[in-house]
Amino acid sequence: MLRLLGARLFQGLIVLWLVTTATFVLIHAAPGGPAVLADPKLSPVERVAIERQLGIDRPLPVQYLTWQSSMLRGDLGRSFLYQTPILDTVLDRLPNTLLLVVLAVAVALAIALPVGLYVGARPDTAADRLVATVNFTALAIPPFWFGIVALLVVAARWRLLPAGGMMTPGADGSVIDRLRHLILPVTVLAFPISAELIRFIRAAVRGGRAAPHVTPAVARGVGSRGVTRQHVLRNALLPVLTVLGLQVPMLVGGAAVTETVFAWPGMGRLGVEAALGRDYPLVMGIALVVAATVVVANILLDLAYVWADPRVRTAS
Amino acid sequence: MNRTLRCLAASLVVAGCSRQKPPEHSLRIAIINDPIMNAPLSPDIGSVLINKVIFPGLVRPSDSLTPEPDLATSWTISADGRQYTFALRPGVVWHDGRPFSAADVKFTFDQILDPSSGTLQWSDFSVVDSVTVANTLTVRFWLKSTFAPFLTLLGHNAGIIPAHAFSGRIADAVGFNRSKPIGTGPFQVVESVPGSYIVLAANPRYYGAKPKLERIIFKIVPDVNAQVAQLQAAELDLVTLEPANLRGVESEPELRIDQVSVPQHYYIGFNQSRPLFQPAAIRRALTLAVNRQAIIDGVLRGFADYPQGTIPVALRDYYADSLPKIPYDTTAALALFAESGWRRGADGVLADRSGTRFQFTLLVDKGNPSREQTSVAVQQDLKKIGVAVTINTMEFASMVRDYVVPHRYDAYLVWWNTPLDPDQFSYYGSGQSNNDVVYSNRIADSLLAAGRATLDPVKRRQAYVAFQAVEAVDPPVLVLYYPREIQVRRAVLQGLPPLGIRDALRHSERLHFEPR
Repeated sequence: MLRLLGARLFQGLIVLWLVTTATFVLIHAAPGGPAVLADPKLSPVERVAIERQLGIDRPLPVQYLTWQSSMLRGDLGRSFLYQTPILDTVLDRLPNTLLLVVLAVAVALAIALPVGLYVGARPDTAADRLVATVNFTALAIPPFWFGIVALLVVAARWRLLPAGGMMTPGADGSVIDRLRHLILPVTVLAFPISAELIRFIRAAVRGGRAAPHVTPAVARGVGSRGVTRQHVLRNALLPVLTVLGLQVPMLVGGAAVTETVFAWPGMGRLGVEAALGRDYPLVMGIALVVAATVVVANILLDLAYVWADPRVRTAS
Repeated sequence: MNRTLRCLAASLVVAGCSRQKPPEHSLRIAIINDPIMNAPLSPDIGSVLINKVIFPGLVRPSDSLTPEPDLATSWTISADGRQYTFALRPGVVWHDGRPFSAADVKFTFDQILDPSSGTLQWSDFSVVDSVTVANTLTVRFWLKSTFAPFLTLLGHNAGIIPAHAFSGRIADAVGFNRSKPIGTGPFQVVESVPGSYIVLAANPRYYGAKPKLERIIFKIVPDVNAQVAQLQAAELDLVTLEPANLRGVESEPELRIDQVSVPQHYYIGFNQSRPLFQPAAIRRALTLAVNRQAIIDGVLRGFADYPQGTIPVALRDYYADSLPKIPYDTTAALALFAESGWRRGADGVLADRSGTRFQFTLLVDKGNPSREQTSVAVQQDLKKIGVAVTINTMEFASMVRDYVVPHRYDAYLVWWNTPLDPDQFSYYGSGQSNNDVVYSNRIADSLLAAGRATLDPVKRRQAYVAFQAVEAVDPPVLVLYYPREIQVRRAVLQGLPPLGIRDALRHSERLHFEPR
């Protein structure tokens, strides 16, 4: 168990190094430069002064080594756009994204587990086909479009829920107010995740019910519900864990669209701003934090496999 | 349990039940990014807007666009126009209660005059030699030469910051710049949530008229569609939009759409270091071949003025209303091409005697529907007279830094957004730092130099009218239109001066809500 953990942590460090190095190369290969230099009004004197202040007047290998050595000392540098320390800037936003993502996953699971188990046990019924249709719709709709439509209908036309932000500015910031601001973005984010999960759970349950160990249980007279609960459920959870593991990077980095539409002050939006503004240190910092989050999430998932799958337990 | 849940669910979605409203008299304005609240730094539009409210300057633009007293009550100008002496308003205090004095003005301009401070206003004030404190309430500016736009620029972005709040570089004062700025303006920052909003409350010690609003909230909403939705959901009170975003807003009875002429000109710049664009006749021909009225009506839905030269109609004291507007005349354009030896070949494209085709690449920034559609309209218009245009769409930053500034381009579609002054010497004067089209006309040089070197408004007008006459013959750029800024506000919001949003926010104490 400890050896597994140690190996995973070591792999994680290598992943972090690879991710940040690749990010450095990619963001510097992108055309243009820091947003502040995009102003055509700047005189050459100002351009030179700005490049020196940002440290982008030095050769790229020097910039890379400087970044690495200060990173090892726990200093991720200063954002070009925000002029704030990177770590503070990112850690300001990370909890907001985690709140959104964790809630979205929880909601998606809460919907997908019962629905997946239900239709998995009833293949090719009307209910099954209905769920399949809704699923494909959910997966096909672009989140950006879905978000804007939700905004325009629920917030702008009906005025049932707030149109954006985490709380009403200048109000007391009560729990109810925060929950109301969460409903739309969490729904938009949870919709496709839950569709994805339902597909896998349904397939796993169908497969599970046809498995050799289930037939004797049915023969013994265990009812349909009992079969699902005692003999199928845990096996069906394995693909759920796999799918969640694959979704984590997309969720942490990819909540960007939802965050932008709902003016949610999260990491994804910050990442988009940083990339568009060519805020090199901020892009690097976000890549590092997102990669670290994904590595940690995957280690947790590995531990969850150990719990869910006895074969993994004995193997390790 | 079930009932509690149901109540909670109901209270979450039912509008009247628990809808959290900010207190009355809060104005909510959208900005697209977290601002840096320090006037000399102001690297982007969001920062510029909020800093106009927090940090007044020595003067500000009046409703008639001329500088009026703000932190300075009066000023004298030496006979040679190179020394300005400002009498400062007595009794002004900073948001933290400390007294404002001439030392703060000197401190601010010492930052602006030092490019390594992180300021982005150095080029506005590079004419200033030094700033000296005569006494607590008198400050003197020494200029290297007479510079007519000086007062206007003082009222543009040069908000005054407090000397006592900084111990090192102003760019390193993260706490001040991001959450606790100290200005002298009618509203002061009381709460700042990164990525979300900044709340400003009325400053009880403000030196001018008592602010009528209790609070101004700058909400950070990066996406324009989200801004429109928030406007419709009554979660924003004032937003500036592009014509393409107005659908869905126009029919809202609670909203009003105001149009303001702003000092901007949109244009296509031709790289005149390339032989193709050097002859004035060719640039004039290209200018004649674009159907601007169709662009204004079709792309901008009427929210723009028909142009004449590079000085927009918003600068009404200097706009040459006596000169004819640029005609749309393809016959005349083709005649000019023919005089210069360009004839249409078998493929319909103009070619010279050596067989070189008249073709070029037009750069346009990605993501702005007005500009992208305008570039296509221009491409189609020029195709009609046999000019082959290839459009290359790219990020704005890349266009400026990789192509325009190093002069590695044929043509690009862009705009100048200027202070409320006609001075365009740095854009169109030979060899000047912002002259990225490499325009060079000796008469224009002398007129532009004369326009900034005299303080006499009559002589200035003469110089700029003459400059516009030169532009009609030897156009520095292909002017497309003068946009109008579209301000969408809640109908109950009153007191906005008839200025662009940047200048209007210099008068934030006048804004108020008037229930109908």
